[in-house]
Amino acid sequence: MTPRDPARHPPALTPGYFSSLHRAPRAGLIALDPEAADMRGPVFGAGDIGPMDGDLIRNAARPGGTALGPRIVVHGAVLDEAGRGVPGALLEIWQANAGGRYRHARDGYLAPLDPDFAGAGRVLTDADGAYRFDTIMPGAYPFPNGPNAWRPAHIHFSVFGWSFAQRLVTQMYFEGDPMIAHCPIVATLPDAEAVEALIARYDPDRDRPMDARAFRFDIVLRGRRATPMEGVA
Amino acid sequence: MKETPSQTAGPFAHIGMTPGERGTRGIAPLAAREGAGAAVTLHGTLTDGENALVADALIEAWDAGGAWARCASDEAGGWRLDIARPDAPFVGLYIVARGINIGLHTRLYFPDTDWRADPAMARVPEDRRATLVASGEADGAYRLDIHLAGARETVFFDV
Repeated sequence: MTPRDPARHPPALTPGYFSSLHRAPRAGLIALDPEAADMRGPVFGAGDIGPMDGDLIRNAARPGGTALGPRIVVHGAVLDEAGRGVPGALLEIWQANAGGRYRHARDGYLAPLDPDFAGAGRVLTDADGAYRFDTIMPGAYPFPNGPNAWRPAHIHFSVFGWSFAQRLVTQMYFEGDPMIAHCPIVATLPDAEAVEALIARYDPDRDRPMDARAFRFDIVLRGRRATPMEGVA
Repeated sequence: MKETPSQTAGPFAHIGMTPGERGTRGIAPLAAREGAGAAVTLHGTLTDGENALVADALIEAWDAGGAWARCASDEAGGWRLDIARPDAPFVGLYIVARGINIGLHTRLYFPDTDWRADPAMARVPEDRRATLVASGEADGAYRLDIHLAGARETVFFDV
């Protein structure tokens, strides 16, 4: 496994995001030997995906119903750092509803719950590393982080590749959203290039006409370390 | 290509990662991966740098043999999960939560193994090794209290 580049990720302690103040380890990470990072993680497969798990518009709706909000398709590829598709990667997805409210006991935001939306999904990448799910555009919402802080519209992703060293939890934002520039959690990212990597692009070629707009979000996981033999080839 | 950057899991990760808990629904929970060994219970508390209990974390345990299990920390900051006891002297633990910008990797070492001889332990300063070693309990469970920060901060690894 190629080593993780810490400069690509937010540091643990980011004072502008208040929740990190008490939860960030201060001692610094201790490196493991490379063999430890090459250990395989758990294997997931088609049996872990329910028939409606990739359709957040309908998977918690009443019979015949659909979730409120702009209908969208989110798709892309899970790749490794060499650009190779990662087949069989498991993606767990969660998001707020169109009003910016999560279906969660601890979310007390003013916006109402949607009786037809839970905001949970799960998909697997195909042989080429491609994935796709249907959902609605989540709303922005405020969160307690100083006098006035808002999250841009976003979708949470949890990703399993073939190795546990690839394990990744992140968030996807939407092209053109003016709230991205104001978010203290986005601001934990080290630079503009890292922010860009989390922004899904409108992808009209994959729209479903008269149905849903498409957004593309590619995810890159750590790759295999090149062995000396591969280098010789 | 560069790795996709990490972002916090936030406080509502149960929706996607432990569906059915805390008023969430929509998909079935992801089934644990059973390993070859007999199941063993691991548990403990999770606290932050101010010794406050962390009630919104997700903790995963895994081993190189393919066993994997996860749980959410409960309202009292407790965590508990069952996983096959591995051949190795440890299981890997992975923790995400609100306020954790990039998932934390640590290990739970079983006290009844030769954990002192494990190569990773040689990299850990001697006075911090105890933060990784569970205590055995009368009922066969193992307890490890995890401290995200503070005087007893757990050792976290760059995996």
